[in-house]
Order: sequence, then structure tokens, then C-alpha cells
Amino acid sequence: HQVLRIRTKNEEEVKQLQLLESLEHLELDFWINPSARALPVDVRIPAVSVQSVKAFLESQGIEYSILIEDLQDVLDKEKQDMAESAQRQRSSSSFDFGAYHTLDDINAELDQLASEYSFVEKIQIGESYEKRPLYVLKFSTGGSNRPAIWLDAGIHSREWVTQASALWIANKIASDYGTDESITSLLDKMDLFLLPVANPDGFVYTHTSNRMWRKTRSKIPGSICVGVDPNRNWDAGFGGPGASNNPCSESYHGPSANSEVEVKSVADFIKNHGNFKAFLTLHSYSQLLMYPYGYKCTRPDDYAELESLGRAAASSIRSLYGTTFQVGTICNTI
Amino acid sequence: RAMELPPGHFPAARAAAAALGYLRYLRGGPGRGLRLRELRRARRQDIDDVGHKYYLELELEDVLDKDSTVSCTAEVLYHLGSKSSAPDVQVTVQGELRSTEQADQEFYNWIRSLEKELVAENIPDSHGNVPPELEPIHLLAWVASGYVIWQNSTENTKLHLAQVKHVKQVKRSDEDLQFDFVVLLHEMVSQEVLPWQVTLLWHPQHGARVSQSRAAGAGS
Repeated sequence: HQVLRIRTKNEEEVKQLQLLESLEHLELDFWINPSARALPVDVRIPAVSVQSVKAFLESQGIEYSILIEDLQDVLDKEKQDMAESAQRQRSSSSFDFGAYHTLDDINAELDQLASEYSFVEKIQIGESYEKRPLYVLKFSTGGSNRPAIWLDAGIHSREWVTQASALWIANKIASDYGTDESITSLLDKMDLFLLPVANPDGFVYTHTSNRMWRKTRSKIPGSICVGVDPNRNWDAGFGGPGASNNPCSESYHGPSANSEVEVKSVADFIKNHGNFKAFLTLHSYSQLLMYPYGYKCTRPDDYAELESLGRAAASSIRSLYGTTFQVGTICNTI
Repeated sequence: RAMELPPGHFPAARAAAAALGYLRYLRGGPGRGLRLRELRRARRQDIDDVGHKYYLELELEDVLDKDSTVSCTAEVLYHLGSKSSAPDVQVTVQGELRSTEQADQEFYNWIRSLEKELVAENIPDSHGNVPPELEPIHLLAWVASGYVIWQNSTENTKLHLAQVKHVKQVKRSDEDLQFDFVVLLHEMVSQEVLPWQVTLLWHPQHGARVSQSRAAGAGS
């Protein structure tokens, strides 16, 4: 069986496909149905119908490409993968990476991942204001201080999908190393450092007291209000546009740069490592893929590369389920 | 004289949020919630002594009928120097919206049949879930908050409904249904979460109207 991806150019072509859909004897299985939306149409075609369907599409001038050359091969591989992953330790397959979890459960899963994969290690880079450990997962297949990528999530505690995404990503990368070409070649050359809960005090507070809490939980001298926006506390354009000097504000930058221990721990770690090449940070909600700068509107030196990379990433994301991300500088986009 | 704006940049996106608020107030109901699928095009015109006018082309989807989309055009006029007046908004929906007559009537009958007035809180819950029977109430909260968002939007704000903190039905002697909401609005630019009290009146034939609204006292 083959799976074709069909890109319709107009209403007429959509109608032709809907006609094709109605011919039951062909036994076509549409994975994405023909509709007026801008999505491609994916259809599984039994071997015996492949030639006639292709002939029909070509005669109508309808563009298609072969998504899966031989579906049986893919299914056989999938079966094999599933058998292999079933053999892996029980506990990790019972953690639902598609659900929200408490801090304790997340930390337990970090230990689980570290124990399951030899190239994954859990390290502590510091402590929060309320003395909770700041845990980072280090992915390293060897070398000594290889060039590294940084990814953090949950710096704004109420943005729950980000901590969950970080865990999903950790699991995906760990389990795909050795089988997925890009992941394998990446980790063979570079290290990855992943901080899934950058603001654990805030995160616990969203579970126990206020689902909408964003900032840290530090006491601010001279104010009845609590907490600093950790993402305005960095020593880059500190106190500039986009940040507030009002302690009661959600975007309060804090008394000074790196005043928040959560932020200082990350800054120190990165500076001491000395070989980080890329930084990613997750926030929600919105579907925006942004690059510097936020506190000023001048273009970064690597503007062209960042823009091109952003567009490629957004295009990749869209190819899966049609999800669209806007790409641009922070200054222009948000 | 109207300047083309990149739809992915924030000025157009903020105007779209205001337009969406207005549209939800006008056309939303217990059986219909409109979400922005894509902002296709945006233009801006600076009108001397009047203000800034945005022309938008939007693609919307009905959350209860996600397979189809609806196009609409909107005009949003922010008045000059006015912090206290709502933007003027006009929307034109292309084509017909799916009828909600039956769903509206069923909802109306259900609420009227309740012995005790309906009360609910945290919609959606912390995990983003809404119990199916409360979905119509959730969509009415979109209507109520749509009004507040429209009324309080400026070129420097982008408001969204984050959560319905509390809703209480109030029985009336006339034919309308009344719901007193406390909604949490999230303002994207300042990142503040603003509690608002809104009283919404609704009737299947007469539609919705906000009878009063005000910013609520500081929350937790």
C-alpha cells in the first residue's frame, strides 16, 4: 500500500478528490480528508488501486507526492519499535508525558530518565528562593565539554504546558537517540542541557494556591507584594522596555539583575560552562517563534540566520498537523 | 492611505483581539463560540484628529464545528488620546453561521427547569478541562468577556479570557436568563490577570446583553 500526499490548488480539485473519495470499490483510506482548508490531503491506497489513482490525478493535473512508499515496511518497523520499548523498564512507560504533573512527580521522572539512559544525567545547578533544587537533565554521549544547547521551561510557573513539553521533549530525545538520524547525529556532536522547571517555587504555588501565579516567590524589601518576573531579571537590558519597576506588577524586574537565585543559578552555570551555542526557552500561550531582541528593536547580528531557521522550524511544525507559528523578533511579534 | 501591516506583528494582532471580543459578544451564544484561526491581512489608517483605524481580514472557526471556517472583515477604530472610550468596531461575516436554534432552545429549557440556580467555578479547571454539560456556560462566558474585552481594548492591550472563576445563575421574573460571572482576563502586554464581574442576560430569540460589568477587587 502507498500513502500519497495531494496538494490541491483550487475548489475544483477538492471536488475531484471528494468524488474519488465516494468511489468505494477503490477502498481509499483518507488520513486527511479533502476539504476547503489549506491542508494537504493524505490518502492510503491499496496496492491494486495505486496505478489507476495516480493515472487519474495526473490526468486532472492534480499534484501529488509519495508520502510512504511501502506502508507494510513502516508497520513492520513500528511493531519492532513497540516490542523494543515494551522491553524497557516498566516505570517510564507508565508516566504520562501528555498530562500535567506535580513537581514531585516531575522530579521523580527525571530520576527515572537518568537511570534508564546511560547518556542522560540529572544535575543540580542551584536552589530556589524556598530552597527547592534546580534540576537540569544533561544529555551527553561523550567528549569533554562539547558545544552545548540550552533549553529551559517553566520560568513563568503558570505556563504549565511548557514544563510538560520539556518532559515530553526529554523523553522523545532520549528514546529516539540511536534510531532517529537527526537526534543521533546531534547528540553525537553536541550536548543538551534541559531545565524543565526553572521556577519550582512558583510552580508549587500554582498547584497549592493560585493557578495564575507567574513570578518567583521571593519577598521584596519594602513591599507587601511578592515575587519577581524571572524573565525580566536577566542582566541584559535590565530595567529596560517591557519590564516594570512596580513590585506588584507581573513583569516586575526585581531590585537588580540576577537578584533572583533561580536566574543567577542559570546565568552562572552557563557562564562557567563556557561552550553554549544555542538557547531555547519555552513559554505559553500563543504559537510564536521569536528571536532577539525584546528589550530593543535593533536586529541581532545573526538576524538572517535566525529568521531563516525560524521559518524552517515553523514549516516543519506546520507539516505535521497544520499548526501555525508566527516567526519574528520579540520586538515585532509580541 | 491605509498602510499594509504584517499580520504576524503585534499591532494587527491586538486589533484582532478587540475585534474578536466584539464578534463574540455579537454572535456568540451557548451553542456558538468563535475562535480566530488566522489573521489573513491587516491595514492601518491614521485619521487626523480622529484616531487609528485598522482594517482586518480574519478567518474564524466555530469551536463546535471545527471542520469549517468562516471569513470575516473587521474595522477597529481606536479613538485619539482616549483612555476611557471603547474602540468602534464593525464586523461583517461572510456567509452564514451554522444555526444554533435547537441547541439554544435546549439550553434555555434546561436552565429554566433547574430547581436550584446553577453555580459553577473554575471553567476550565487547572488542567484545561471543561465538563461537557458546562460547555454552554463556558461559551456564554466568552460572550460576556467578549463585551468586556471590546470595551477595554486599546492599541496597547491584548486581552483574552483565561478562566471563568465563578458563575452564578440568578432567576428572573422575566423571560431572560441571567448569569453573574467573575472572569479572569489575561492581558498579554502587561501579563496581568484581571478579575472582572460581568452580568449577562441571554434569551434564545433576543440574544445576549451585558447589563453591568466592573473590574473586581484584587484577587488572591
